[in-house]
Amino acid sequence: MRHGPLVFLAAFFALSASWFGFVLTPQVELGRAAQETNAVMKAELYPMGRPGIARQGAEIYRANGCAYCHSQQVQQEGTLVSVVMTDAGTNTSALADYLNQLLPGRKYMGPSVGAGLPKVILTNATIDDAAIFAKKLKSAGAASQFRLVPIGPDIERGWGERRSVAQDFVMDATALPGSLRVGPDLSNEGNRHRDPNWQLVHLYNPATVTPKSPMPAYKFLFTRKKIGKQASPDALQLTGEFKPDAEYEIVPTPEAKALVAYLSSLRSDTPLYEAPITPAAAPAAASTNAPTK
Amino acid sequence: MNASSTTSSASDSISIAEIDQSCRVPLFQMFASAAVWLVVASVFALIASLKFHMPGLLANCAAFTYGRVHPVATNALIYGFGVQAGLGVALWVIARIGVTRVVQPWLIAVGAKLWNFGLLVGVIGILVGDNTGFENLEIPRYGVVFLFLGYLLMAIFILATLHNRRERMLGPSQWFLLAALFWFPWIYFTANYLLLSHTPVRGITQSIIAWWYSGNLNLVWFGLVGLAVIFHFIQQWMNRPLYSRHLAAFTFWTIVLFGSWSGIPASAPVPAWIPSLSTVATVLTIITAISVMMNVCKTCGHGCSETESPAAGKFIAFGTMAFGIAWILNAVGAVPGVNSVTNLTWYGVGVWQLNVFGFFAMTMIGAIYHIVPQVTGMEWPCGNSPKRHYWLALIGVILIVAPFVIGGVVEGFNWRNVNVAELEVAKKSLMFVRITTLGEVAILLGNLMLLGNLVGLSVRYYRLHFVPVYKGALAEIKPAEVKP
Amino acid sequence: MSSPSHQPVSNAPQDSGAKDPVVPVWLIIVCFMLVYWGAVYFDQHGGWFNTQVYTPYVSAEDLQKYQVFGGPDPMVLGAQVYGRTCTGCHQPNGKGTPGTFPPLVGSDWVNEKEPGRIIRIVLHGFQGPGLEVNGQPFNTTGQMTAFGELDPPAGLTDEEIAAVITYVRGNAEWGNHASPVTEEQVKAIRNKYATRKSQPFSPTEIKGINPAE
Repeated sequence: MRHGPLVFLAAFFALSASWFGFVLTPQVELGRAAQETNAVMKAELYPMGRPGIARQGAEIYRANGCAYCHSQQVQQEGTLVSVVMTDAGTNTSALADYLNQLLPGRKYMGPSVGAGLPKVILTNATIDDAAIFAKKLKSAGAASQFRLVPIGPDIERGWGERRSVAQDFVMDATALPGSLRVGPDLSNEGNRHRDPNWQLVHLYNPATVTPKSPMPAYKFLFTRKKIGKQASPDALQLTGEFKPDAEYEIVPTPEAKALVAYLSSLRSDTPLYEAPITPAAAPAAASTNAPTK
Repeated sequence: MNASSTTSSASDSISIAEIDQSCRVPLFQMFASAAVWLVVASVFALIASLKFHMPGLLANCAAFTYGRVHPVATNALIYGFGVQAGLGVALWVIARIGVTRVVQPWLIAVGAKLWNFGLLVGVIGILVGDNTGFENLEIPRYGVVFLFLGYLLMAIFILATLHNRRERMLGPSQWFLLAALFWFPWIYFTANYLLLSHTPVRGITQSIIAWWYSGNLNLVWFGLVGLAVIFHFIQQWMNRPLYSRHLAAFTFWTIVLFGSWSGIPASAPVPAWIPSLSTVATVLTIITAISVMMNVCKTCGHGCSETESPAAGKFIAFGTMAFGIAWILNAVGAVPGVNSVTNLTWYGVGVWQLNVFGFFAMTMIGAIYHIVPQVTGMEWPCGNSPKRHYWLALIGVILIVAPFVIGGVVEGFNWRNVNVAELEVAKKSLMFVRITTLGEVAILLGNLMLLGNLVGLSVRYYRLHFVPVYKGALAEIKPAEVKP
Repeated sequence: MSSPSHQPVSNAPQDSGAKDPVVPVWLIIVCFMLVYWGAVYFDQHGGWFNTQVYTPYVSAEDLQKYQVFGGPDPMVLGAQVYGRTCTGCHQPNGKGTPGTFPPLVGSDWVNEKEPGRIIRIVLHGFQGPGLEVNGQPFNTTGQMTAFGELDPPAGLTDEEIAAVITYVRGNAEWGNHASPVTEEQVKAIRNKYATRKSQPFSPTEIKGINPAE
């Protein structure tokens, strides 16, 4: 029995199955995704393309292998709901009694129920419980809204307001979700550290802002030059032992500025259909992937 | 020293010596280059490891930043040593089992040269900043072309050698190697074409393909080739066939079916069906580990330590155990409850090291220690060195894998605990990383021993085979007589 | 250290007649149990190949449940819609252009108790002489676009119309304190004029309409 061809066929079948499942199907489902009008915030496109300097920064990020220690994939373990009362209706004393029944331990007084609206009535409920509670409120004449609260260690650390999804990477030339977290996740870095100067100083020598940090110093992204007639406006403000010698200043190269622009453009706070959150009431500009001033 | 037994009384019988002789040219090229790349990989891995607790090391040099040194180390190990030595050992195994000469050995050596050139160009590209950004696929496009062409050249003639076999029936080692020879070009071409061509796929699809490729390379390809070599040597040294061919066939199916769907992390920013399928497949690979351990243990019985090449035998035995442990750890790490702790931590790095170095590289090193004396007909210059290498490698692997696995679990728990600040998590992992640096030192020393031994043996071979010819040629050249 | 080398072991099945051991039954059972676990796991967590379902959501229905006021504050959406649609004529400060584009700031039309007229205007457009806002006459020879009849992005969906009207009516900075408008109200009025299409209302016509309808 010559089972050479059989072995080949077995391998061919197995590999083509996995190729079909993990190469072809994702390309068909996700590969042609484009910027979309956000299903939730209908007025804007998501994701906004990064401005040119941030795109150059993405190339610096890739070339220096930042993705080997930093991930860009926020995880989410669940979504809880808070019920927010927006309108106490006309019969506030009956509502107060009803609420005291539903939520033992609260002591709502009649008129004060309607004060300070909108206010949170129920926290950390599952979506089904919240829906039941909202119906009960409606039957008592009140109106309510839900506020979604994603949960998970990544979200509690502020690494993102919601989990990362495929749409987040659509405008990236190279998707760099990373595979190891020696340092924090960077999906929301633009929101976590808004000051580009902090980013520059941190890149120059992480030990300046986080003592004993294991992150390497990226001194090659900066030039040490003699101070001219006056200090350059870009010069890093360093203190203590990290300060360069007198007459010298540390100035970021264009690569450093591009990298910082990229880091500042990383945001993970836009609500999407597949990752719903209740957006802050802040204006839409804060949720795009473009850097803000 | 040369074995002169023949296989059969058929008129076209071929001696083992002739088989080995036909392997000499390609194997010398492949093993020597592989040993060099192994040392290069260890050096870069050591530098990368040092940077964790000495962040100021070489900080001013862009080419030596961690993000460039680390991919050089992994690519040199995987492609420079792993695939190359794997193909060399596969060639020898196929020639030996098939009792046939190697087809076009010189072309195979040319293929290996192309492979090395592509890797060299690629490694320099990474150091210069052309890192593609995809794990295990960091070699830029200009290197990939040569790597692929070199592979094709090598694989075609290895397949031709398989085709020429006397015994038409295929054994487990041959199934595995045959499948592997076809597997690699498909995954390599697909991944590199879709990611690095002029019209690459966009968005997170890139990462899905990169993860798919990594899973197929690390689990399927290394698994198939490594196990083929292990099975061959076990049958050889126990002087009996594998305990169960059916079990070997079962292993084959579990590797190709389950291993090929592994590799996508559960946290990936992709629709839920993709990581779910991958999780299920990875957990199912535990069946592979169980079936292999069963087959090997039943074949070896109690005679595991009686081998004709003690040092090589130790390496192969260690490689087998590492396979079992690595695949079990990998499967356990994918179980959803465990994965929520170990995902994106050092745990995955430790398991990867155990699989690629502890299982695959150790197996190939052992095979090299066995094969080279047979093929060249000479003993290793330093007879004790293989044993010392074994102990260094053993210590090295344990010192690398154990801290990463344990440290990864600790790190995972720390990341989940919001009260532990980010810097604290890094600081708590530091002790584990320092121990792994010691492991890298041990491994580097061992690999230097292999390279030194190979160089010594090559020098001796040259002296034995070429110098007399050269001297003889010289002797025939008489000085011209000076006419008065 | 090679001993006199023996032949490579044949790969043929043993000739001794001993049977090649099969895969042990317990291993097959373990394999099937794991496959069963895998199937259940995929069923519960896989989202059944739906592109929009990500963990922790388990299915398309589950994800749909969370699309509740997961959307923005109507005031925020309304501000965005106003910004990209209305500022061209009514100006970002809502004051319009005297004589040509009526203001929305403190407008009596905007602040009517019932929003019926305003909804009609946004849905089907407005044109014609005789418009008076806060006592000031406006000569609307130009036409206000029928935003409800065009397709987005040039036009507006019912939700966007409701949001922008809510925003304008409730904009405290402009001194408007009227009640919000819901999508259902917009839909109800649209249904009344299903055949009207883009024919704009004129001031005389709209004055004849009871805003409560």
